[in-house]
This record gives sequence, structure tokens and C-alpha cells, in this order.
Amino acid sequence: MTAIALRPAPAPRAGTFIRLVTTPDRPDDEKALVLSAQRGELEAFSELVRRHQRRAYAVARAIVVTHEDAEDAVQDAFLHAYRALHRFLPDQAFGAWLHRIVSNASLDITRRRKVRDADDLPETVASPFRDPAESDELRLRLRDALAKLPVRQRSVIVLHDVEGFKHSEIGKLLGIPEGTARSDLHYARSALRALLQQLRSPQ
Amino acid sequence: MIYDRPSLRLVPDDGDDGDGDATLTNTLRALYAAPESAGYWSALERRIMDRIARGETLDAWWSVPTQWARLGLMAAGFALIVAASLFLRSHAEQRQMAYDSVLGPANGGPTLAIRDAQTERQATINYINGR
Repeated sequence: MTAIALRPAPAPRAGTFIRLVTTPDRPDDEKALVLSAQRGELEAFSELVRRHQRRAYAVARAIVVTHEDAEDAVQDAFLHAYRALHRFLPDQAFGAWLHRIVSNASLDITRRRKVRDADDLPETVASPFRDPAESDELRLRLRDALAKLPVRQRSVIVLHDVEGFKHSEIGKLLGIPEGTARSDLHYARSALRALLQQLRSPQ
Repeated sequence: MIYDRPSLRLVPDDGDDGDGDATLTNTLRALYAAPESAGYWSALERRIMDRIARGETLDAWWSVPTQWARLGLMAAGFALIVAASLFLRSHAEQRQMAYDSVLGPANGGPTLAIRDAQTERQATINYINGR
């Protein structure tokens, strides 16, 4: 009789995380939903919204500065997606297609904001979800530092480190080469790590 | 044989270049955490579907009012007609010129030059004197 030793799964390294899986449990089901939505069934599109809105929000939130802008971007993106649904090929991944629309909507909002109120950007960095640790200096300083990062670098670090997108996926989302996404991540991490270093070893 | 090129290095495909910082990552995740309340998401879904049901259009910077679009189309159509008539006219003129060059001008044959006899005589004298 052979004894099988069960070992626990190795703990993730620092800086790694479990990748969020966006693919629905039943892809055929999603394809059917897309086909129904293309026929004009609103309930089917509503189900697609239900399934994808969290991830869409995460993509938008990585690009825009505020929660409110992320919400606007998600809404605009779903509206765009609904209007362009007849052009979508049901055999493609709906999520990937939608994320590109969300990314465009978010970048559009960012461009408009930059033109409108570039000066008071740090003050607009706010989240409606307050928690007790929000007054933590690290978080506040990090938030300010993130707001000062170039949009692309901020988007790349959040999409990669928070949302778990790969470099190639980030490249597609933001319309940049994979290598650029990789170097942007490096620069963004360096900038933020320098900030953390200052906080850890105050003079 | 594997050559070690100092300017290039292999990195894992998952994109973790090994320069991540756990504290930084955790703080970022806390900062960018999506709302967890189910009520929030159902409200957002409702807002999206309401906008779709209302047939709301998105005003993009390239969108123009319908009236302006109609005027623009009419102007473009008129410009197209003018351009087409000019093209046809110049084409007809070119064709006529091509016929003329092959068949010759409609009024008259080759022009004959009559030499002046006096001039020829003078030229002979000049030639002899010059020698």
C-alpha cells in the first residue's frame, strides 16, 4: 500500500498574489448571453453587467484617480459596449473586449480631467469607502504619491500589483508594448518604494 | 551553450520581476479595494441599465448635432456635384485636343513658307564676300 503524503500548498512570495479569474464558469453560457443581448434582450445584457462590473470597475479605478471617475468610466463603457454589441464576435472573450472599452473610457475621462482641473488633483484623490486605517500616514502619503505619478505608470502598477493583470494584458489594455508596461511598473515601484523608505527611516 | 548577456535577463512570464514590495502591494490593494457591498453593485447595475433603457447617447468630442451633420452632408453633396461637372468638362476638352493633335486643326493644312528671293541673293553675296 502506498502512502500519499499531502503537503500544503506553498505560501505565496511577498509581492505575489492569487490571480483573479475573470473567465465565467460557463463560457458557453456567456456566449449565449452575448447572443441574446445582441438580439436586443436587455435582461441578458443586464446579466453581463452583473458579471463584469466589478472587474470593469477595477480596470477603471487603476486608470482614473477617483472612485467617482471610475464609476463614470464603468457606466460609459457599458453604454459604449451596448451600442457596439452588434460588432462584437460572440466567439471572442467578452471580458477582454469590455476591458479595452473601459480602459478607453477611463483614459478619456483622465484626459478631460487633466485639461479641466490639473491644479487641484491631489485634493480630488478620495474614496468614499473610509476605514479606520485611512488616517494612516503611509496610506495618505502613498495616495499623494500615486496621484503625482504619470497616469500610465500609476495604471500599470495598480493593474499589475492590485488586479493581477499580466504585462501583455496591460499592454493591450493601455495600447502600449509589453516592454513599456514592464518598465513602467519598474519605475512606478521605484518611485513608491523610495517614498516608503523615507517613511520607514525618518530623519 | 548559454551566453550570458549582461544587458538582457530572463523574467518570469507572470510579470513578477522580483522587485515587488509586500508593504507597498498590500497598501495599494487596501487603497484600491473595490466596494464590497452587494447593494452598491446592484445600484450601479441599475444605473447602467436605466441609462441604456433611456436610450442615452454619449456625447463624445467628435459628435456633432444632427442638424449640423445634415447641413454638412448637403454641402459635401453640392461640392461633389460641382467637382464632377468640372472634371467632365475638362475631360471633354482634353479629348477634343487629343483628336485635334492626331487629325490636324479643323481649318487649314500645312503652312507653306515662301522665301524671299532677295534675301537668298543677299545671302549668296555675303557668302562670296566672306570668302
